[in-house]
Amino acid sequence: MSKTKKYWTGLDQLHNTPEFQESAGNEFAPGVAGTDLTGKNLLESENLDEGSTKRRDFLKFLGFSVGAATLAACEAPVNKAIPYLNKPEEITPGVPNYYASTFFDGTDYASILVKTREGRPIKVVGNKKSKLTGGALNARVNSSVLGLYDSARSTGPMKGGEATDWATVDKEVGAALAKLGEDGGSIVILTETIISPSTKKAIAEFAVKYGAGVKHVTYDALSASGSLEANLLCFGVKALPVYDFAAADVVVSFGADFIAGFPNGAANAVGYGKMRDPKSGMSRHFQFESNMSLAGSNADVRVALKPSESTAAIISLYNKVAAATGGNTLSGGTSEYDATIAKAAKELVAAKGKGIVVSNSNDAGVQTVVNAINNLLGNYGTTLNMANPLYIKGGVDAEMNQLVADMKDGKVGALLIHGVNPSYSYAKAADFNAGLAKVGLTVSFADRLDETAGAGVTYLAPDNHYLESWNDSEPQAGSYSLTQPTIQPLFDTRQFQESLLKWTGNDSDYFSYIKANWAGIHTSSPDAGLLFSNFFNTALFNGVFESGTVGVTPAFVGDVAAAAGAIKKVPAGEFELELYVKAGMGDGSQANNPWLQELPDPISRVTWDNYITMSPKQMQELGFSRLERGDFMANVAELTVNGSAIKVPVYPSPGQKYGTVGLAVGYGRTAAGKCGNEVGVNAFALSSGSFAVGAVIVSNTGAEHEIAQTQSHHTLMGRDSILKETTLEEYKHNPKSGNPDLMLYVSSAGNSAGHGDSHGGGHGEEGHAEAAHEEHASPFLPASEVNLWDDHAINSGHRWGMSIDLNKCIGCGACVTGCGSENNVPVVGKEEVRRGRDMHWLRIDRYYSSDMDEERAEAEGVGAIDKFTLMEAAAEAPQVAYQPVMCQHCNHAPCETVCPVAATTHSDEGLNMMTYNRCIGTRYCANNCPYKVRRFNWFQYHNGSKDFSKNPANDDLGRMVLNPDVVVRDRGVMEKCSFCVQGIQAAKLAAKKAGRKVANEEVQSACAEACPTNAIVFGDLNDKESWVAANAKDERSYHLLEEVGVQPNVLYMTKVRNVEENEA
Amino acid sequence: MVNDKIIHRSSFRTLASLVLTSVIFFSSFGASAQDGEKLFKQNCAACHVATDKTVVGPGLKGISERAPSEQWIIDWVKNPDALIASGDAYANKIKDFSPAAMTAFGFMSDEEIIAIIAYVNSYAPPVADVPVVDAGAVDAGAASETSDEGILLNVLVGIAGLLLVLIFVLSGVRRSLTQLVSEKEGKKAPEELGVLASIVHWLNTHRGWAGVILLVGTLAFLQWGTKELMNIGVSQGYKPTQPIAFSHKIHAGQNGINCVYCHTSAEKGKTAGIPSLNVCMNCHSYVDKGPTGTAEIAKIYAALDYNPSTREYGDAPTPVEWVRVHNLPDLSYFNHSQHVVVGKIECQQCHGAVEEMGVAEQFSPLTMGWCVDCHRTTSVQVANNEYYEDLHERTPAWHDGNPVTVERIGGLECAKCHY
Repeated sequence: MSKTKKYWTGLDQLHNTPEFQESAGNEFAPGVAGTDLTGKNLLESENLDEGSTKRRDFLKFLGFSVGAATLAACEAPVNKAIPYLNKPEEITPGVPNYYASTFFDGTDYASILVKTREGRPIKVVGNKKSKLTGGALNARVNSSVLGLYDSARSTGPMKGGEATDWATVDKEVGAALAKLGEDGGSIVILTETIISPSTKKAIAEFAVKYGAGVKHVTYDALSASGSLEANLLCFGVKALPVYDFAAADVVVSFGADFIAGFPNGAANAVGYGKMRDPKSGMSRHFQFESNMSLAGSNADVRVALKPSESTAAIISLYNKVAAATGGNTLSGGTSEYDATIAKAAKELVAAKGKGIVVSNSNDAGVQTVVNAINNLLGNYGTTLNMANPLYIKGGVDAEMNQLVADMKDGKVGALLIHGVNPSYSYAKAADFNAGLAKVGLTVSFADRLDETAGAGVTYLAPDNHYLESWNDSEPQAGSYSLTQPTIQPLFDTRQFQESLLKWTGNDSDYFSYIKANWAGIHTSSPDAGLLFSNFFNTALFNGVFESGTVGVTPAFVGDVAAAAGAIKKVPAGEFELELYVKAGMGDGSQANNPWLQELPDPISRVTWDNYITMSPKQMQELGFSRLERGDFMANVAELTVNGSAIKVPVYPSPGQKYGTVGLAVGYGRTAAGKCGNEVGVNAFALSSGSFAVGAVIVSNTGAEHEIAQTQSHHTLMGRDSILKETTLEEYKHNPKSGNPDLMLYVSSAGNSAGHGDSHGGGHGEEGHAEAAHEEHASPFLPASEVNLWDDHAINSGHRWGMSIDLNKCIGCGACVTGCGSENNVPVVGKEEVRRGRDMHWLRIDRYYSSDMDEERAEAEGVGAIDKFTLMEAAAEAPQVAYQPVMCQHCNHAPCETVCPVAATTHSDEGLNMMTYNRCIGTRYCANNCPYKVRRFNWFQYHNGSKDFSKNPANDDLGRMVLNPDVVVRDRGVMEKCSFCVQGIQAAKLAAKKAGRKVANEEVQSACAEACPTNAIVFGDLNDKESWVAANAKDERSYHLLEEVGVQPNVLYMTKVRNVEENEA
Repeated sequence: MVNDKIIHRSSFRTLASLVLTSVIFFSSFGASAQDGEKLFKQNCAACHVATDKTVVGPGLKGISERAPSEQWIIDWVKNPDALIASGDAYANKIKDFSPAAMTAFGFMSDEEIIAIIAYVNSYAPPVADVPVVDAGAVDAGAASETSDEGILLNVLVGIAGLLLVLIFVLSGVRRSLTQLVSEKEGKKAPEELGVLASIVHWLNTHRGWAGVILLVGTLAFLQWGTKELMNIGVSQGYKPTQPIAFSHKIHAGQNGINCVYCHTSAEKGKTAGIPSLNVCMNCHSYVDKGPTGTAEIAKIYAALDYNPSTREYGDAPTPVEWVRVHNLPDLSYFNHSQHVVVGKIECQQCHGAVEEMGVAEQFSPLTMGWCVDCHRTTSVQVANNEYYEDLHERTPAWHDGNPVTVERIGGLECAKCHY
């Protein structure tokens, strides 16, 4: 039948016209193809010779250019070497210097060491001498060094947006201030929280000079106003407690992301990490929250609740604790979550004096109730330190609101703005801007023309970067630290304090001023017997100075009942919004830092964006794309808060409370610079003094938004050799629980039939120890003994290795930025991340648990395909685990065997070496890597490539941050984690020169150094005294994907959850 | 018994050394002008010269005429402060000559000071003695070497040319003779072939030889080509002209200054370091004249904006842009201190006899092959270094009695130098 059927493309073919016969012989239709660059048709024979490029010419040019290039390349360039005229004594070219200093930006406080090379700061690491922080720092602090080389910084003072000079600014501002001072006009200094005693003194002296009209208003973008007011009422101290998580057996947090977004988060993480060791002690952590926060993802018991339900839950906890400890109960304390709350209360009471209750609420009433709970439990003086409290938050919202009202009423004569950006971060920025227009004299000390400085501020008197500045701080009562400059100011900028001193009529520089001020600290300190210069220089060298003054824990005098009655209700609604702070971006002051923009969010793994987080179940109901198609396109929602609407993409977040949405602040900057502008939306505009916003309307616009995420599979999908976990109960019973020896089926000989039965269902090749030891002639062998390769001599010499305790890893991302900073890892931008070409040598995989597992599938009769589909979907209330993955430095590395040019080889010290200058870019190694940790340079990311202008190595200023000991990789070259081989070599050399062994402390990879919880430990596995060798012997240690038999030098340690049987 | 012997021996040593010391001690009493020069250089030369030139202190020429008496000089040298305090008129007159006060040399004997005065008075600038080895001379030496080679080459080319001419002449003779013979024999003259055609003809008729020639030619070309290609980027012998004609021969050779006196960071960091100009000024603040005159040293002063007559520094210094001689590519990490301090390698092993170089030049090829060759043969000093001893103990493979070379501790691995 079909043979008789005729197909034709057109009537001409059907009729087989002569024109058709002729044209059928030509490959191309005339005029369709085969034109040269000038548009001439090459197929028409008379044009063939007239084409602008003839084949022979082309070959000639090709030959010539290849020859010319070769010849040109033979000419060695003449390099110049320019020594110092007068070399500073402390600088030896090629040898880094470290200076102790302090980072404080109103949000994060950290005592740090700044690594400089040839007088150029290149890296920030923690200062272990600090008692307050324990050397911890987060991603924002170790990325802050890049802010120094930000090309968006102002290069000098400005007036009305035009460049001017300091003399003009001093003269005009000085005259205006003098006039206001004489007239008794209002002069307001608006700053971030000031923890510097010398700055406070300078402000006080300024106030004395310009009369009673001078007022200092403190404003915090991330406000802790509620806590401060509560503490003032309860203890008479306007400060925050210092939490000691290392002493806390039970932690109950209501929405507080105390290890990330919270004040002093990194330091809290140190203590928290210490209590995540099943051998020495495991804390029990309850978290009640609506968004999945970093703390919540690490909690043992996590309860999702709406922001509007939080107050009732806290009062319920108070009542239960009060009932058990004999306090007065409050009315109205019942909650839907009472079962869990009762359990938390019971455990808190059992661990009296060893618990912490913490809340993120910005309501003084809520915080008073939380204080009361801690007080009833006797936690003050043990886990909460109010005797020497924390000063790093000082802004009271009412003062700022009053200032804006005054400004709008024209009552403010002069406004000096330092360290804050209210036109961006203040909830009612429009009101602030309107008020700004009515202020006579406006001066901003911002380092760039930011939103506030650009909103009609007359004078911009740019402050130095903190790495160019002198300063002192008292973050905690009696605990001091110093900031010292590590480079001369790059631009014509002047420190805020020096400007203030100048306008006060004090011509001394700020350094002398600090020294003079420290004379007072010196005389009242236990070191008063020392010469002042000795005292000061020691403090400067150490970076910190502890006065040793121990305060008295103030008595709790709060009126709980009154406070509870005054709690403002969070309005309930179909949707409730809670704003949150991302572990990477913080308050957005470092939004122009590309390292932070490209740092994947720990939970969502999304870069370069903020978005609404929503429960996947609700997304499905509302018709939002759950990003399961693989094109990474999110739907855009319209979010309406109090009548004003913004459009923002929606991203699924398992664990998000149904009926709530979360949105991160810190994005949507408009005047941050090339990396921070127009990234995401500004969520500060939605806050109403509180981050728990309450009733909002969310509707699907159907529009799409590109999302750049770095992890597309969210669960382990039934695999059990990647991430291992157990419960504390089981661990106590059997330390190897959750981590049985993996046995591989190696032979069909013997009595394998019996095993085949017990390991059916596609798992015939894997078995477990219990089963394998039953019989003598077992065909199963431990995975470590199954080998395709010849062994390296792994037990001799050095063998560098790493252990990663999954129980301690909180997922904060400090290691990722620490690694990037040490190893010159390029920033590739959102588009390339979307293509899966992020260059991070170290990624932190985040896994959710799934509701589906093998047993359930069998019990419910779910088919294999459905089973795996369900396994891929995260549970609605999932457990979360983080797993940092970098090159595993396999002893039997599959990448090495496939490299055709031996560019990746194995060293005697256990390193898998990557030799960039040998690599020809076949990418075989990346394809053969079971861990997918190799990164390919698809483009030239540095040296002025205009597509990658966000990469720091692309302009002369940004390039100054590069580590000169690590090569900047070129296009077409593979790269990966080197175990910071430059650091290993440096440590070995120091040991050889001194004729001693390599010490544990001196050989640390950048990630291990940056890790606040000590989850990552690096060292020599063959050195019996090394920390990593001790961890390697632990029962919890295992290798990732052990069954592939590549024998990595990286060990993971089983995650142990402190959960009861029914909670798991 | 044994102890007795030892005591005996050591007392003998003490005795011997006592005798020796006293001999030296007594002999020093006879200090002469010869010792005066030595004493002057040891004690005075940091601030004074024997001419009338002012350095830190005044030039000492004519000191005997200027000073009130020889005893005054002796008192002044031994304790200038006391002399000033005693109200001595001349001492008070000269005490403010320089901001740096005269150092007291209380340990000197009268005889020694007299010997110094004698040396100063008899001092004559050593005109003929100046070591005239400067940049120019070395360059000239190199040039003459080159011209020697040139002559040899010219001679060879000349001989080759002569031989060629001879071949042409002889073959012409042979051809005309053949023609004559064939004419005589009445045969038809063979077809006249051109030079090229005859070569082609010969090659065609002697295929075997042609093959051999082709093979030899190709091999020679390949060998030459490979050698040339392997030398791309190798700057062995690189000897650029420097902005200041600094001579290592004078400094390290004739004056015996230790390499690390200037290249301080060779023992500390990865670079040996080009000394900063303040290191030059340690000596050149008073040595303002070299063998070739003052011009080169004046460049240091110009760079520092230093005025030698007022001894003051200006505020417009300009750094010296030296031409870098040793250029290692950025992709390789090399650390001087590793080799100098740990490996205890002499500078000369890689840099050649720098102390004989008028102009610094690259002695070694600095290729990876050169590095690797050395790493293959050099043994590591395991003993007396706890780091290596510990590593040695942990590495059974090294216990085979063979020397532990750098190669065996991983010195050929990529990531030892490339990261």
